Amino acid sequence: MSRRSLVSLALIVAAAAGLLAASLAVGNRPLLGLDLKGGVEVVLVPADDPDRPVAITEGDLDIAVEIIRDRIDGLGVAEPDVTRQGNRVVVQLPGISDQQRAIDIVGQTAELRFRPVCSLLDPEADPPPTQELPTPELDNRGLAPCPTGIDVTALPTTSSADDLLDRFVVLPHRDRLERYLLGPSSLTGAGLSSADSRFTNEYVVEFNLKGGDEGADKFDEIAAACNPPSDFCRTAQIAIVVDGTVESAPVVNEARFGGSGIISGNFSEQEAEDLALVLRYGALPIEFQDPTDPQSDSTSRAVSATIGGDSLRAGVIAGIVGLALVFLYMVVMYRLLGVVAMLSLGVSATLLWVIVAWLGETQDLALTLAGVTGLIVAIGVSLDSNVVYFEHLKEDVATGRMLRSSLEQSFAAAFRTIFRANFASLIAAVILYWLSAGSVRGFALMLGLASVLDLVATYFFLRPCAQLMARSPGLMAHPHRLGLPTREEAMPAGVEAS
Amino acid sequence: MSRLQRLLRNQTRVDFPELWKTTLKVSAALILISVVAMLVRGVNLGIEFEGGTVWEASAPDVSTADVRDALRDVGQADAKIQFVGGDVLRVRAELDATDASSVAEVSLALATLTGQSLDDISFNSISASWGDEITDKAIRALIVFFIVVAIYITLTLEWRMAVAALVAVAHDIVITVGIYALFQFEVTPATVIAFLTIMGYSLYDTLVVFDKNRDYQRRSALVGRATYTRIMNSALNTVLLRSVNTTITSVLPVLSMLVIGTLVLGAVTLAEFAVALLIGLLVGTYSSLFVAAPAAAWLKERQPEFAEQRERLEARAQSRGTTVHDVEDVAVGPPSPQAAPPAPGATRRPPPTGTVIPPRPRKRKRR
Repeated sequence: MSRRSLVSLALIVAAAAGLLAASLAVGNRPLLGLDLKGGVEVVLVPADDPDRPVAITEGDLDIAVEIIRDRIDGLGVAEPDVTRQGNRVVVQLPGISDQQRAIDIVGQTAELRFRPVCSLLDPEADPPPTQELPTPELDNRGLAPCPTGIDVTALPTTSSADDLLDRFVVLPHRDRLERYLLGPSSLTGAGLSSADSRFTNEYVVEFNLKGGDEGADKFDEIAAACNPPSDFCRTAQIAIVVDGTVESAPVVNEARFGGSGIISGNFSEQEAEDLALVLRYGALPIEFQDPTDPQSDSTSRAVSATIGGDSLRAGVIAGIVGLALVFLYMVVMYRLLGVVAMLSLGVSATLLWVIVAWLGETQDLALTLAGVTGLIVAIGVSLDSNVVYFEHLKEDVATGRMLRSSLEQSFAAAFRTIFRANFASLIAAVILYWLSAGSVRGFALMLGLASVLDLVATYFFLRPCAQLMARSPGLMAHPHRLGLPTREEAMPAGVEAS
Repeated sequence: MSRLQRLLRNQTRVDFPELWKTTLKVSAALILISVVAMLVRGVNLGIEFEGGTVWEASAPDVSTADVRDALRDVGQADAKIQFVGGDVLRVRAELDATDASSVAEVSLALATLTGQSLDDISFNSISASWGDEITDKAIRALIVFFIVVAIYITLTLEWRMAVAALVAVAHDIVITVGIYALFQFEVTPATVIAFLTIMGYSLYDTLVVFDKNRDYQRRSALVGRATYTRIMNSALNTVLLRSVNTTITSVLPVLSMLVIGTLVLGAVTLAEFAVALLIGLLVGTYSSLFVAAPAAAWLKERQPEFAEQRERLEARAQSRGTTVHDVEDVAVGPPSPQAAPPAPGATRRPPPTGTVIPPRPRKRKRR
């Protein structure tokens, strides 16, 4: 028993230390948020689009802000700051020193198009491209019958300059395994209202179209042309095209959708999410000027932290002072047990650091001042597990149980309580993470981490510590060192425990 | 034994049911004040929720502290100050861009600070950075969360406990938000996160108390001899120190943040966040003992078996000319021998040793 406790203790300490060392060795650092460290901002200015029938409204810009925010913060933990300032959209990202990367993340406002698929072609034109596509004869729906009498195998891929709405085009699939001959279409991302990935029996993408001629009716026109397949859409597929690439080309299973539909196709979770993202992202209502173009008004610049260094220092000092006070209190209250509690805290805090640093590196998890203080509080609260146990122990000793057996048996009872309470926190975290967005999601992640780590540290550190202490004759003879009353004090003379 | 000693040994004799009479009134009053404050004054939403005005000026030789001082003079101490591209100063404040005089005041302050003319200071409206979508989703998530947690507590404990725990959580949130409305503290995303932290903490704390209570209801020597409420009272007395200690260890870092954050000028975010957390943590512990517990006791006493038990005990007490309390006080008493003469008529069980929890049977005495 004693050896097993030692092994368990050594394992958890080694794991925490090893992970910390590994984390430091590969240079993982927590990503500090915009408020603490600043970052990069990309200013997007709407492009002058002479074809645009109505002027850009604040509403359009606000929708663009929502879409960009969603796109950047898919995981909900990066804490970007996306706002509309006048008629510009200002996107601030934490911690990125490379401005080009910021621009890539914010992305270009490619237009999304839905096109009927005429035929599937080989990935490479063979023999060398010789033929040209005819100009389509558009009907009143904006569709045209697929070209006949040409050798589709010898068609070149359409250049981006010729990739126009009212032309036939040949575009490659995202995975480059196929090319498609696509008909003209008048439905763009502007007709979409929302898209989301969902899990029913498999991962699917659900999308909603705007009502009327703007979206739903147009989609139904194309759907009717594809189901059953007609001359307008020989393959019965609709291609979703962004930036000259076919993202997906699902088969149309119905002639009428009435404003919403589901795209399925053995997607993995990631694939479904990416496709939903493309649908949403392509649905930007405005085209912005390219920030990489020096001629444009859109720019990218470095920005400083919004909170001064004095606040950050104050926060750190406050945290250290606070924890020192907690340490003092625990030691006065529980003596050696208090020290054990603080060591247990050290283990979970180390693991937390490693995870936060790793998520900062891989998932852009940003630590804001609020996040840091929240963590300090979480640490204070996680001491509760220890307090619950110590109090249980005290109670058992006070009722005349042997200290040695109490140390282990109280743990079992206390751990049940701790587990149930932490499990409720974990449920809260999972639900909030699953269903919410933005900073709330970031909070949920932290809550979940704190709950799990609390259980880990309690079970793998506190428990073996308790077992080891129960083996120490010195401690058993001097319960005061554990902040516990002696047997004589607990059980006054005259009342004998059974 | 002094009170403190008794507390340290988990042998307090706080009469919770008696306290509940007062605390429930206090809670009701606090909730009333909170609701009125929310209705009358509303919450003061920050720039992240409502948008505001943004100023920009070229300011190569100005420090954040200078700007902060200049802004404090025009009542915008909590504005966000940032330098863009190194030398462009950007100030964002929760000020309606159409409020021309206030906007001009800030512009003037910035012009004076940077030594430029008013024309060199540009300003513009800025939208909220916390989208409505985030709020909508968060509310939906909270509703689902409440339902699932209610189911979880019903499964692990029982539905009465679920109701009581959620009442306590709602109580805490209402009071914390109410205090924000009353004092018009600015609600920032950080505050929202603080509210959520409080919610999680309150629930956790209540569950610990309930779990201890259940444990107690099972193994207490009082089972069958006291009402549910009296047994719960004993259980609460044994978890009191744990509640006090946990509150102290959670509050100490927050308190230190509040003090240091307030002392250091400019750490407004820190101070406000700390206030929200401090109030929430205190209310969270309070509600476990003084809202969730009485709510659970009230519901349990209406459960037929406990209602019957109460009637039976009252009838017996009446026939003996004692009150129900007399019986319990003996049983709940501290383990001092002179204070615990076995109560007459309570001989069905081995005479009480003066402690509430009898030792669990041990297989053999080891030594």
